[in-house]
Amino acid sequence: MALSEEAVLKSELRWAAIVAVIVGIILIAILYAAIAMHVNPPSNAEYIDPKTLHLSAEFTESNLGTRVDPDGQVVARVIATQFEFVPNCFVLPADRDVTIRLTSPDVIHGILVTGTNVNTMIMPGWVSQVHTVFHKTGDLLMPCHEFCGLGHSQMMATVRVVPPQDFHPGPDGRVSCDNRG
Amino acid sequence: MAARPRRRDAAALETGRLVMAHIWVAIAVFALACLLGVWQMWARSPLNAPYHTAANYFRSVTLHGVSMGYVLTTFFIMGFGYYVAETSLRRPLPSLALAWGSFWLGIVGTLMAALSVVSGNASVLFTFYPPLTATPWFYIGLVLVVVASWIWCLIMIFAMRTWKAENPGEPVPLAMFATVANAVMWLWTTVGVAAELLFQVIPAAFGWTQTVDVGLSRTLFSWTLHAIVYFWLFPSYIAFYTMFPRAAGGRLYSDTMGRLAFVLFIIYSLPVGLHHLFMDPEHSNGFKFLQMFLTALVSVPTFLTIFTITASAEVAGRMRGGKGLFGWIGALPWERPMVLATGLAFFMLFWGGGGGLINMSYGMNAMIHNTSWVTAHFHLIFGGTVVIMYQAICYSIWPSITRRDFASLKPLRLQLWLWFIGMMVMTLPWHWLGLQGQWRRVAAFDYSNPLIHSWGPWVIVSLVGGIILALSALLFIYNLAMLHRRGVAGAPASIEYAQAVHPPERVPSSLNGFGLWNIIVAVLMLLAYGWPIAQFFVSPPPQAVVHRLG
Amino acid sequence: MAEPSYPAGPHDYSSGKAELEQLEAAMDETPRGAIVVSLIAVGLLMIGWLGLYFLVFIPRGSVG
Repeated sequence: MALSEEAVLKSELRWAAIVAVIVGIILIAILYAAIAMHVNPPSNAEYIDPKTLHLSAEFTESNLGTRVDPDGQVVARVIATQFEFVPNCFVLPADRDVTIRLTSPDVIHGILVTGTNVNTMIMPGWVSQVHTVFHKTGDLLMPCHEFCGLGHSQMMATVRVVPPQDFHPGPDGRVSCDNRG
Repeated sequence: MAARPRRRDAAALETGRLVMAHIWVAIAVFALACLLGVWQMWARSPLNAPYHTAANYFRSVTLHGVSMGYVLTTFFIMGFGYYVAETSLRRPLPSLALAWGSFWLGIVGTLMAALSVVSGNASVLFTFYPPLTATPWFYIGLVLVVVASWIWCLIMIFAMRTWKAENPGEPVPLAMFATVANAVMWLWTTVGVAAELLFQVIPAAFGWTQTVDVGLSRTLFSWTLHAIVYFWLFPSYIAFYTMFPRAAGGRLYSDTMGRLAFVLFIIYSLPVGLHHLFMDPEHSNGFKFLQMFLTALVSVPTFLTIFTITASAEVAGRMRGGKGLFGWIGALPWERPMVLATGLAFFMLFWGGGGGLINMSYGMNAMIHNTSWVTAHFHLIFGGTVVIMYQAICYSIWPSITRRDFASLKPLRLQLWLWFIGMMVMTLPWHWLGLQGQWRRVAAFDYSNPLIHSWGPWVIVSLVGGIILALSALLFIYNLAMLHRRGVAGAPASIEYAQAVHPPERVPSSLNGFGLWNIIVAVLMLLAYGWPIAQFFVSPPPQAVVHRLG
Repeated sequence: MAEPSYPAGPHDYSSGKAELEQLEAAMDETPRGAIVVSLIAVGLLMIGWLGLYFLVFIPRGSVG
């Protein structure tokens, strides 16, 4: 390599090309995961009034928890509130498409389910929705992971993933942790 | 070749006391925050910590975050900026009086915010978390600190403008060019949080509004949230480019690439904030993907810096006799704090930057959002790479301010090693725990739960790392304080900045000013944030009820 | 080609010719070492990223 300014800039350009390749690989892998493997951020745009959740058709207390909807989709509906999840335990079958829908009447919360890619914020005014398939069975931890006030540390739910043959919804389509079938 | 201006050698620095005042305030707040951090880790561990209540924990986290993120940084950056303005431009500051005014404004704001937090009425942490709402005096205190920093920005811009008028056609010294780039970027950056506070949060805190659009507030805050970390990072990169090559006994590989890196940071650090909101429902995959793509672009100036600075190190090592492909590494003067710190910083940049690449990877963010992985990432990249360079900068400039040299560099090196070791020991377990699902902002873990129980030992390892960091922070203060009393008299009144292999005679105006880059920022922000913000006005979602604390 | 200017200060810059000769000699090999070190660093970074991608992220399943 020579002393000249041109040589210096040429070497930097060569490095920039290498950097472009690396960034390109990362972007392609991300696109592949998004499109082919269906791994996307939770971006469901759906409004709901936080002040009247209990009066809404969907998030009224008797409709919370896991239910097999009339269209056959397994949906768990959960409310996040200071400082508990309602219900704080819900059942889902493994190896099957499931949907989790969450909202909050008060402040911002958030959840993750340990060992999975399930992770979403829960905002008052919005319904958060995550579609996924669980493969490992057992009791998974679902803590509130967004600071929501002094009781944040205690706010935790359990996701009970059962083998498909143990998933027995009642006549109304509902399953709960007390009577998982 | 233009004649070199006469050095202001004999006289003391006009900005000496101004710089010291800013940096000592930054250091004092930093040390307090370090001690709070240790207590926080103790509280979260299986060990019993004193005064352990949720109220105290979140008071501490708020104080720790606000001290480290808003006070240490802003005051250090302002102080260092004044130092660079005087020593690299070799002229007095446009207005010392205004600079002191902004310092006192910042002090008043800091005290207001700090006392609000201590009172327990402002446990809203660094991110504020609306609709949780603190006492308005907390937010107003922080607004005053931001206003003080805006005054600093104007002084920096004016200093560069005046120098350019006095030196037509000359390239602005790289250290000052980068400092003003930071000022320009900061003015853009603060728009988001200023809008959130002035139009949403403070009215709610005073009780003038009862609801708040939290989607909008999080989006406005995200505008600031990423670019602010580049505001923090600039002084460290300034040290990489303009101080390290000199300390290593060599030259900066390319002055042009330095300028390019800094302007790339200006344009790409701003339109990327949505990557903090990947898990939020209020933005579409389209805009999340766009901002992820822009985030990939902001990694480019760091990749370029890695090469340019490594090449500069190679030049220095070879000038000192290093041979072969790697011999130059051993030949570097590692006993010099600036050289040691740069090496340690780059090692931490590998881990912290790597973690950041995972965070920004769109769907992959779901693996780690709001887990200890995130905590690990920013402690390593900010607390590690950036702050260790702040420490090295202090060691570098203190002799010229106190006019005393360090009698021995050993305690300086010890302090830097302790900081590095402590940071690695503290943050590596957090990465692992984050992948296991350990979540953030927890005052106390229920160790009777089997999964959480398995985390216990690692939490204690992190605590040990934190204790090492606290010791390092105390040694840092001791090292600097001693220079005020002891030390070898007769140090020169300014540091010497690094020279480039090819010192520029002329640079294009785009690498000597910011007109073009301001236009590009405006265009990119319109593209990336235009609809994400406008949507809240075009199709307003239901608002959240304000929850006032205390 | 611009003439590199002479450094101004004391410390370890021997002023003038000797420094320039050392610099020219150093620039004969640079940036070979830097390229190798940088390639190793980003190579390891890529391995880490791909490792997490294939071993942790993809196995954790589809979400959307």
